[in-house]
Amino acid sequence: MPPTLISPSENDYILRGVDANVRADGRGRLDYRQVILETGLITQASGSARCRLGEGTDVLVGVKVELGAIELDGVEEDVAEIKAKRGRVICNVECSPIASQQFAGRGADDFNNELTQMLDRVLNGPQSGLDLEKLCIIPGQQCWIVYIDAIVFDYAGNLLDTIFMTTRAALYNTKVPKTIIQDSGDGEIIFDISDDVEGWERIEGWDKVPVAITLNKIGSRHIVDATPLEELTTEAKLLVTVNKDGKVCGLQKSGSGSIDPSLLNEMVQTGRSLGQSLIKSLDEMVRREENDINLKQSRRERVEKLGFFAAT
Amino acid sequence: MAFQFLSPKPSSQKFIVDVDMDGDIDMLLKTERKNFESQVVTPGQLITSDAQSMRGHGTYTTESGKCAASVAGVVERVNKLISVKSLHARYNGEVGDLVIGRITEVSHRRWKVDINSRQDAVLLLSAINLPGGIQRRKTEADELQMRKFFSEGDLLVAEVQGHFQDGSSSLHTRNLKYGKLRNGSFVVVPQTLVQRGKTHFHTLPYGVDLALGLNGYIWVSKHTTQSSKDQDSDAIYSNENEEIDQERREAIARVCNSINALSRHFLHINDTTIKLAYEASLHFPVKDLLKLDVMEAITSEVKAGLR
Repeated sequence: MPPTLISPSENDYILRGVDANVRADGRGRLDYRQVILETGLITQASGSARCRLGEGTDVLVGVKVELGAIELDGVEEDVAEIKAKRGRVICNVECSPIASQQFAGRGADDFNNELTQMLDRVLNGPQSGLDLEKLCIIPGQQCWIVYIDAIVFDYAGNLLDTIFMTTRAALYNTKVPKTIIQDSGDGEIIFDISDDVEGWERIEGWDKVPVAITLNKIGSRHIVDATPLEELTTEAKLLVTVNKDGKVCGLQKSGSGSIDPSLLNEMVQTGRSLGQSLIKSLDEMVRREENDINLKQSRRERVEKLGFFAAT
Repeated sequence: MAFQFLSPKPSSQKFIVDVDMDGDIDMLLKTERKNFESQVVTPGQLITSDAQSMRGHGTYTTESGKCAASVAGVVERVNKLISVKSLHARYNGEVGDLVIGRITEVSHRRWKVDINSRQDAVLLLSAINLPGGIQRRKTEADELQMRKFFSEGDLLVAEVQGHFQDGSSSLHTRNLKYGKLRNGSFVVVPQTLVQRGKTHFHTLPYGVDLALGLNGYIWVSKHTTQSSKDQDSDAIYSNENEEIDQERREAIARVCNSINALSRHFLHINDTTIKLAYEASLHFPVKDLLKLDVMEAITSEVKAGLR
């Protein structure tokens, strides 16, 4: 359970440790913990991934693509024109009471909203990189709706970074069924969803989906991948979302402290370079996992997902 | 700056034959082994169908009258009494236990302290030492400056003094060994892993002090001599840390990480295991101790050392 209080001496110990580049767990300022990642562990979902960061922080993301109607009610005409040709992305983040006692009952509501909104803001705009027009089946009528549901099972700091990287892995894993559109002749368009197991495609633009790097300002320095105690010491937090080209896709500052303009610049640059290398390692990992599975299938071996039966 | 992604590992279901250092194999019969090894159960799992047995904590009787576990943990048998000790149970204070706690609330003549118990423990104003070691009744003036002694969030080491009617514990810090904690970092482990010992204060040879709370809270700090504490007894409630050099910081971090590695692999935590883990960890840089394979290497070395 993450603590909500910190003593002044712990605070001081962490602060001075950050300054000396020896954090309480021996890491340097820009060291990330190991991530354990598995994709495709939920069979009912179109795509899924689970990430565990270091000792704790356990996030499961499920992606479901469903058929839906394009809703144009009460939308201005010029907006409707664009909307008619697009699919939708709907995000939801939920913190399980298993993660912390504070999340029991209604305790997690505000936090859930905050996380959901953050994910939604990044993924529901042009910066998300997802090609929403490709998700449209019949303009003005039918489209794919991508539901992204994240659930937090354990909390040991640095939650948003984990949610974003898990989402990216889950989107890579997502299979959108192919559709065959037919014109029946009388102006009516009908479509069929491919029954073929092989008849799927990836979500267009998954590779452009950004990841997030949270930079915690402690003293006059900043650190990444903070532990819960370090998060309590943090004066100001800056969330930098970066895509694979190193383009900044979003910034969010939280916390009551202030950030010096020169430090802000430095933090964004750190976030950019870290984000890019995070994406590189993440992509390598998900591709390697997929290749392993393909190899096994070609050898007609059983492919077993460990899911929650994993030992570590 | 490198990011490391790993695949999850399967839990091995095969029976692992333990081969010790000399290559000897445990040759106990499977039936005999049952008498020595602890039995781990999950909720709902049948423990025994013996009608003679008595049900203890962590068990229930099924419809067919058999005894089943209601929590995940280790089966404990005392004659006919069968109970299951949960691995992640909350702490149940016993008089005389050394605990580490965090102040959650300052109220009328008392502090509420989180000690990983079902309810917060109580530290009465009358159960603390005044600065300077003066012995007197606590006055209203003391009551007004309670936050000068302990305020919300402060960590302290204390002893369980007794229990209240509702089951919550009462603590005291009437000893120079007890009081506010400074100069170090805080580690949480499952409470079951810390066993009662002769002493829970240890000084490790690496210039690190250790306070093992029986409630699973552990404080790892820079070594300070007792005499310097006595000299300025006004400072017992100070929040100021001493200067800690880089080397000492790394030693503290190393001890913390060793403890975390032990708890991850469910090994008992006492000064012997911590020393073994620390020595085993010296082959690796401190930050590598967070890596799972390194943790495994260290704990297997500890297991070998314990034999």
